[in-house]
Amino acid sequence: MKGNTGRIAAVDLSTGTVEMLHYPEDTYRRFIGGSGMAARLFWDRADFSADPLAPEALLVFMNGPLAGVKLSGASRMCAAGRSPLTKGFADTSCGGYFPPALKYAGFDGLVITGKAPVPSIIRIADGGLAIEEAGDAWGQGIYATNAMLEERYGKASTSLAIGPAGEAMVPFACILNQAHHAFGRCGFGAVMGSKHLKAIVLEKGDAGKLSVADGQRLKAFIKEVTPRIRESIISQVLHDFGSAGNLEGHMYDGDVPIRNWTSNFNEEMAEALTGSTLTDKYLTGTRTCAFCVVACKRVVKVDEGPFAIPRSPGPEYETVAAFGALLGSSNLAAVCKANYLCNDFGMDTISAGSTIAWAMEAWEKGHLTPERTGGIPLEWADMDTVVTKVLPMMAAREGKLGKLLSQGCAAAARELGNESIAYTAQSKGLEAPMHDPRGGGHGHAIAYAVSPRGACHVATAMHFMETGACHYPEIGFEFDLEARTDEKKPETMVLATAIGMIENSACLCQYADRSLTITEMVDLINSTAGYGYSVPSMMAAGMRVFHLKRCINYRFGFTASSDVLTPRMLEPARDGEPEGIEIRFDEMKTCFYAFMALDAARGVASREKLLSLGLADEAELIWGASQ
Amino acid sequence: MSQYYKDADDLYKIYGYFLDRVLLDEKIGTKMSKAGIIIKFIYTDPDAEITIDLKNKPEKAGYFGTFYLGPCHLKEDVWSKQPADHSHRFWHGLENPIAAIAKGIVRQGGKVTAMLKLLPVVKPSFQLFPVTLKEMGLEHLIVTKK
Repeated sequence: MKGNTGRIAAVDLSTGTVEMLHYPEDTYRRFIGGSGMAARLFWDRADFSADPLAPEALLVFMNGPLAGVKLSGASRMCAAGRSPLTKGFADTSCGGYFPPALKYAGFDGLVITGKAPVPSIIRIADGGLAIEEAGDAWGQGIYATNAMLEERYGKASTSLAIGPAGEAMVPFACILNQAHHAFGRCGFGAVMGSKHLKAIVLEKGDAGKLSVADGQRLKAFIKEVTPRIRESIISQVLHDFGSAGNLEGHMYDGDVPIRNWTSNFNEEMAEALTGSTLTDKYLTGTRTCAFCVVACKRVVKVDEGPFAIPRSPGPEYETVAAFGALLGSSNLAAVCKANYLCNDFGMDTISAGSTIAWAMEAWEKGHLTPERTGGIPLEWADMDTVVTKVLPMMAAREGKLGKLLSQGCAAAARELGNESIAYTAQSKGLEAPMHDPRGGGHGHAIAYAVSPRGACHVATAMHFMETGACHYPEIGFEFDLEARTDEKKPETMVLATAIGMIENSACLCQYADRSLTITEMVDLINSTAGYGYSVPSMMAAGMRVFHLKRCINYRFGFTASSDVLTPRMLEPARDGEPEGIEIRFDEMKTCFYAFMALDAARGVASREKLLSLGLADEAELIWGASQ
Repeated sequence: MSQYYKDADDLYKIYGYFLDRVLLDEKIGTKMSKAGIIIKFIYTDPDAEITIDLKNKPEKAGYFGTFYLGPCHLKEDVWSKQPADHSHRFWHGLENPIAAIAKGIVRQGGKVTAMLKLLPVVKPSFQLFPVTLKEMGLEHLIVTKK
């Protein structure tokens, strides 16, 4: 096997046993790796009756075939399982340094079940796995945990760890690598917490060689595309100003949601929160993921004031918007502090910020009363309350307010009632990212709604395709899209879906790979893993992954009626460039369903479609045995 | 063959009038001047060159920057090369600059990120460009959305 190692370690934390799984090469080829292989593993091995936080629940970490290839953006990985937030199958992606280290250690992935009798750490060293007691690390924040792990296992080790929010099983708790790179979404930190798993540590081994299909071709490929990645306009913005580099531009487009999605334009916020302001005021350094020439990661320090923080990982675009504009605040220092705390607690900033924004509106409307908050007021832009009270309470699930908000906005709204679900911004229970479809592009609306994991802007390539950042003539995408219409969006979404599934399964960075053509993606995967893809067969693999995920979620009760956005997300914008424009959501969804052969009621592909993708078992389970 | 410009002089006449308006505009000009850079726009079909100096003290009172029509002595911080007709549509707000860069229609060099920061700032001037054309009696050059 090339690119991949062919070894997936299945760890049962209840029994302390490790079994090695070996899937045939053809399975890798059909499901690519990463998110696709995780879905395959989940379908094959999961107990579908298990609660996401039960010992029986499956937690998968899966590399793509490219992990370890010394190319910008090629070494991300996927975490997947049943999300405690959405209760459906979900996956989340992370860069950093763990993915290539795991590959070099001889593993494509880890499948974790069970619950350790005491808080534990999985230690990977010398080609084997061991389960060790976490000791004092349990109960520590991410920064302290990271320091303890480095002391215990050496500075050259790399780890995935959870913070107190994961231990408390907050359903949007995240997992961090080196305290900087996050498996941010869908709550897999809580799944680790439920398994008494504080961290997974990879000790530096002497490996580092990767067996690839065509080394010469791969080397030439890397040499050719690396300068292009470095010099692309996206990379330059990311390098200079981080992922918030274009926040100001997004704001003028009406793409940045403000005050819980009630406004789409604020000139003061645009300037106060954008990436260049962060660079000017608080940046002290930059960081990268493995082998990256872009360096979009920020390191910041706030010297003084109520939001002072030490030199530490800085906020990305999503965090800046979620703890800035979304809460009605222009205070960038407060964003840095909120980011610092969420990192330390191990809590997803999008879900946390979105849930607080919803709560602030509920407070304003009188739906959330002092009795329900324990007397804590939730005024717009009151960042002092957010960082000193709300976030710590959410992470610990303490107090009335902490218990309510730590559920995420959808569950909290259901508990609160008063039709407050209408002004949540989420789909399938996953809080929406900080790109408002009403301004950023109507295609985002359909992308959020049909994403298997819930409202997500990275499950597909729609975000970049709609903004014009990429064109793919090889697959017929060579036209420009008008952001604030539904014109050509469903057909674009078909392509965007396949590309997104490929990116998340090959575990490519969606920033770096914007410089690659589809043909080059094929070339990269073939020269590394020897899959022998053509453009159509790689696109078909992307489609296969999408439909498999939909099949999994159908078994969890998700149907076509789950592919919806909330009234708040679809009401016409009240100001800014998108003011008054309606999103033709139902029309887009109907067209997309038709193009994808999705059943209008069940929301899964027709039997014929599943069979055409080689998903015969799935077709039989969902549609019954064929006549 | 340009749809909108007979030659470089024709282009300079229109852009000169337009840039006068932009660089005198309190709101747009103030924000542009914060960029603190010198930008050179290189046009093809017709071949032409315009430099906007947002770094040095403006030459004329009341202006927030200085522009030069044709080759000039200043060394630019960033340059942008594009067909003149593309630029004409861009200033109507009808071209997606990100897509144009991605497709190679617009090429850039130097402090590109500093210039990109100007994109949202100059958006209000998209309304000024057709007004400029109208004032110059060039309504036939106003482009409308298809």
